[in-house]
Amino acid sequence: MGEEFAMKIIFINKILYQFRKYKLQISISGIAFLLLTGFFIGNPNLFLSSYTYAALMSVIPITIILALSLTFVIACGEIDLSFPSIMSFSSWVFSSIWKITGNDILAFLGCLVSGILVGALNGLLIVKARIPSFLATIGTMFFWRGVVMVITEGWTISLAGTKGKIIHTLLVGRIPIIIKEGVPAQMVWAIVLAIICYFLLNRHKYGAHILVTGDNIEAAKVMGVNTDKIKFLVFIHMGLFSSLAGIISSLEILTYWPTMGEIHLLLAIASVVVGGTPFTGGSGSIFGSFIGACILGTIETGILGIGLTGFWVRLLYGFIIIVSLIFQVIIRGIKK
Amino acid sequence: MSKTEYLVEMKNIWKSFGDVIALKGVDFYVKFNEVVGLVGDNGAGKSTLIKILTGVYPPDKGEIYINGEKIDIKRYSVKKAREMGIETVYQERALAEQQALWRNIFMGREMTNRFGSLKIKEMKQETNKLLRWIGFTSPAISSELTIVRNLSGGEKQGVAIARALYFKANLIILDEPTIGLSLTETEKVLNFVKKIKEEGKSCIFISHNIYHVYPIADRFVILDKGKNVGEYYKKDVTLERIVEELRRVTMVG
Repeated sequence: MGEEFAMKIIFINKILYQFRKYKLQISISGIAFLLLTGFFIGNPNLFLSSYTYAALMSVIPITIILALSLTFVIACGEIDLSFPSIMSFSSWVFSSIWKITGNDILAFLGCLVSGILVGALNGLLIVKARIPSFLATIGTMFFWRGVVMVITEGWTISLAGTKGKIIHTLLVGRIPIIIKEGVPAQMVWAIVLAIICYFLLNRHKYGAHILVTGDNIEAAKVMGVNTDKIKFLVFIHMGLFSSLAGIISSLEILTYWPTMGEIHLLLAIASVVVGGTPFTGGSGSIFGSFIGACILGTIETGILGIGLTGFWVRLLYGFIIIVSLIFQVIIRGIKK
Repeated sequence: MSKTEYLVEMKNIWKSFGDVIALKGVDFYVKFNEVVGLVGDNGAGKSTLIKILTGVYPPDKGEIYINGEKIDIKRYSVKKAREMGIETVYQERALAEQQALWRNIFMGREMTNRFGSLKIKEMKQETNKLLRWIGFTSPAISSELTIVRNLSGGEKQGVAIARALYFKANLIILDEPTIGLSLTETEKVLNFVKKIKEEGKSCIFISHNIYHVYPIADRFVILDKGKNVGEYYKKDVTLERIVEELRRVTMVG
């Protein structure tokens, strides 16, 4: 065998590898494209109007931010079901500090800190008390939701006064570019966070340790990876991002709702699943979760837009999830 | 330079689990640049002995010396053993299956800048060099394109052995490395072990199959029911003789 032959094999392998590597991304982008085309044909007026995109971009970032951090949790071989409650609890912290002090920056910092602390508590239950994350976060899901319900007695809190303040402008203001309604700032944040998360998962020690922990925790431990520390950090990460998603959600509608986040539980999990991150741990696709959240976020608007009743929304969610899972099985099958 | 000819020396090691006495005063040593075949049936105490050496369990009684220095058993741990250059390669517990080879070689010891950002290019290059050096000749195997899952059982152990040598292990312990492997795969593993010897390092090759250990080991230690029942240098005995001995001790015991 000559040198040339070997080089050829390496070259072919590289191309095949690139194709395989991005197969998942290609297929999910395909699904997104098909769906949007369908909606577009169904109601061209709606999907030609910039208002529609402004509305979508104000809501979808909440799911994106949740799905991004959930990708880390799942890649690490764990799950978090408590993030909707963390959203609500930390937004309540924001609203309370805002009401008492009138200082939105302080309220914002308080909100993020509360998200970190509640995430850390999840981490402790899983790492120190050795409770499986599925069960531990069911517990904390009910607990923190219960806390805000007891305190607020179910009442909402108006955040109308935050409008025009720096945090409101920074997080949910409109940037006068591209469309006449302006691009919602939260969309820019979602993209920035996605880029940071991509870097962290694929090109940072943090991500490297998450992947090996989710892949083979025994091997990771033997090789000196502090798997407990990694899991702890992952739940803090989830808590922090949940609090951010919560505050964006509250500020966007200028109201704190104690029940907020409940619809995001399955939406965020489904975004990660549709995006091609397997539940078995050891790998995760930030790009996939991002697009997954965009797909699921567009379905509701699209369905209503093309004149179908809201009942179709769930049906299509289910359909998309199943189709993308079948794709993934096929893709992984070929890999073997 | 060294004060002793032994890399590792274990003296009069006792260990029991509840009522079961797993080790009954075993003496065991490994010299510098020596491949030792540790042979015995299931339950003979091979794994227990190795777990004591690698800091997984403390012995009930006995002394351990590494590089001639007595080890404080109370402070001995898996981490400590690794720091002293003792590395164990398990078939199932060595590698992360879904990850590329470079991620496995540098698992837990990633090359990063001071912000924790991975030096991916450097790690891939080092991994490629390492793979060629340990004996992977196929151009289809590369640091970034090959996922561990797609390697054969023998190749996986090669990667784990290469990793241990790269990070300067002095003693590599292979726990039943050939179990469940085909003849050609076993051959591969034996070639990797030869590399350990060429590097001037030592190896303990645990197996219940003397035929797998024989071609590669310098010395054989036979354990049976928690006792060291035989020790042979390959230069002194034939394979037939050892097999005969093995049969005798297991019958008598």
